[in-house]
Amino acid sequence: MLVAWPYRRRGSILEAFDPRARLLFALSLMLSTLFFWDVRLLAGLWALALLYFRLNRLTWRETRRAWMLTGFIAVVFVTITFLTGRGGFEVYRAERVLARLSLPVTLFGWSPAIHLTVERIFFALSQFCRMGTVITAAILIPYTMDPTQYGVVFRGLGLPDKIAYAMDLAFRFIPTLGRDALQTMDAQRARGYELERVRGGPLAQIRRLAPLVVPVTLHALMTAEDVIDAMDLRAFGVGPRTWLTELRFRRHDFLLLGLAAALFFGSMIAAALGFGRFWTP
Amino acid sequence: MARRALTWLILLGIVVILMALASAMTSESGVRLQGFGWLLWVAIGGVFVYAIYFATAEHPAWQIGTREVVYMAIGAALYGVFSYLFNGTVFVVPSVSQVALRPAIVFPVFFGYVFGPAVGFFTGAVGNILGDFLTGWGVFPAWDVGNGLVGLVAGLPVVLGRERALNLLTGLVAVLGVALSLWALTTEIQSPFFGGPLSPLMRWVPLIAAALVVALRFALGRNIALASVIVWGAVANIVGIGFAAIADIWINGYPPAVALLGEFVPAAGPNILHAAVLTPLLVGAYNALQQQLGRGAGVA
Repeated sequence: MLVAWPYRRRGSILEAFDPRARLLFALSLMLSTLFFWDVRLLAGLWALALLYFRLNRLTWRETRRAWMLTGFIAVVFVTITFLTGRGGFEVYRAERVLARLSLPVTLFGWSPAIHLTVERIFFALSQFCRMGTVITAAILIPYTMDPTQYGVVFRGLGLPDKIAYAMDLAFRFIPTLGRDALQTMDAQRARGYELERVRGGPLAQIRRLAPLVVPVTLHALMTAEDVIDAMDLRAFGVGPRTWLTELRFRRHDFLLLGLAAALFFGSMIAAALGFGRFWTP
Repeated sequence: MARRALTWLILLGIVVILMALASAMTSESGVRLQGFGWLLWVAIGGVFVYAIYFATAEHPAWQIGTREVVYMAIGAALYGVFSYLFNGTVFVVPSVSQVALRPAIVFPVFFGYVFGPAVGFFTGAVGNILGDFLTGWGVFPAWDVGNGLVGLVAGLPVVLGRERALNLLTGLVAVLGVALSLWALTTEIQSPFFGGPLSPLMRWVPLIAAALVVALRFALGRNIALASVIVWGAVANIVGIGFAAIADIWINGYPPAVALLGEFVPAAGPNILHAAVLTPLLVGAYNALQQQLGRGAGVA
């Protein structure tokens, strides 16, 4: 089995909610974070995101790979920002120097040195919390959204029928195309194709992908003609579409939606009024 | 649809102007509107997309029929599957930043270039979501939109006409080059890399680059098929990946240099190479297929 979605039912309390409400709440968490630079507020938002993550019954074991990767990136970028100077566009101006660390070497008249300042340290902390919140909200979406409901979810969020159906169709094509890609790869290997061989310049290496990419794409486009015919014969797009699953907001869904809206607009207003700006002790 | 696009265009334009005003008015006391940069950037992106749509709304490539729906779905699925395959499941390709080296970028470029900006945008944005779904890495909206823009920009030659699009682009680069050089020659700028004033030679670089681009355009004459694919693939990646990388300045708080050297260069550079090598091969193969099938429109 090549393609396996990370989604499965976990029996969490949140599964009783409409998927649209859950998606909007995750997005609201992600976007609300972006209004603030105060580490105390950001830590609170991250805690909220982690609580929401936990309520979805997601475990460390199944999400470990995603956490390791995104966490690694966050640490690398926070460190680079810390070392290269003032991060964040115009978040702070004056800096209070705590210490100056320098390496005892000189390269062409330049000696590597960094100023350890209160602002830089707190900026790094805020940045880490911000990225943490966004990552937490981002990771839980693929694990908690049922791929079979994607089309109807986006239709329910106001996208036109055709676009929502295209999303649905894309999800359905994935297993077939995945199989095609692996079959093509095996077929080409049987003819002596060696993709993993690292030889030649970058252009030659890229060109080596063509025997895999071109047949799979063209085969998919040939299949497309049949799919188009089949859909046209069934009068696709002539009238409004009906969906197999119907989504209806219930009372508890409105509660979650209300929370999401309150979080987002509350954050926006608070930021406009000057709350949650960059903070140092 | 065009009227709705105009409404959005005006609304987003007002948001951009209001936010720029608010920021300018509060800057003197040293207190700027903080935390809204990402929103402003998204609004600017929206203005860009709606302006393109509004200017070319009459073109049939914007009409979404059965054919386009199926191409969108196939493009997105291919982009998703290949992103997944190349992201360390079947082939391990090492990468320096969060943006893995992705040959799969050829799909939004190809689908945009052949089927138009709407199909291209969908292929990029939804394909990126699908790829991230499969790997389970999470959904990062700025990068989804950025990938969508790659497809959208690659599709511009379809709505503008291939030769006109290339001429427009050459003109744009020339104007930008002249403007940048004029600005650099008349103002005091600090060198972004070494500190101190910018060297005199560096001030002429944009003008020289612009002259080279114009010369290349004339050297090509009417033989533009190959150049068009390569150039638009590159521009698409610069705009799309640039959008996402610059958005991270406000989203993740990177200094501009880190966003540029840590994200934009390692992502857009290899992407441009991948698109430049693989897209012409795909376009050529697709044209041959069209002749065999005798359906759909071939690509110049």
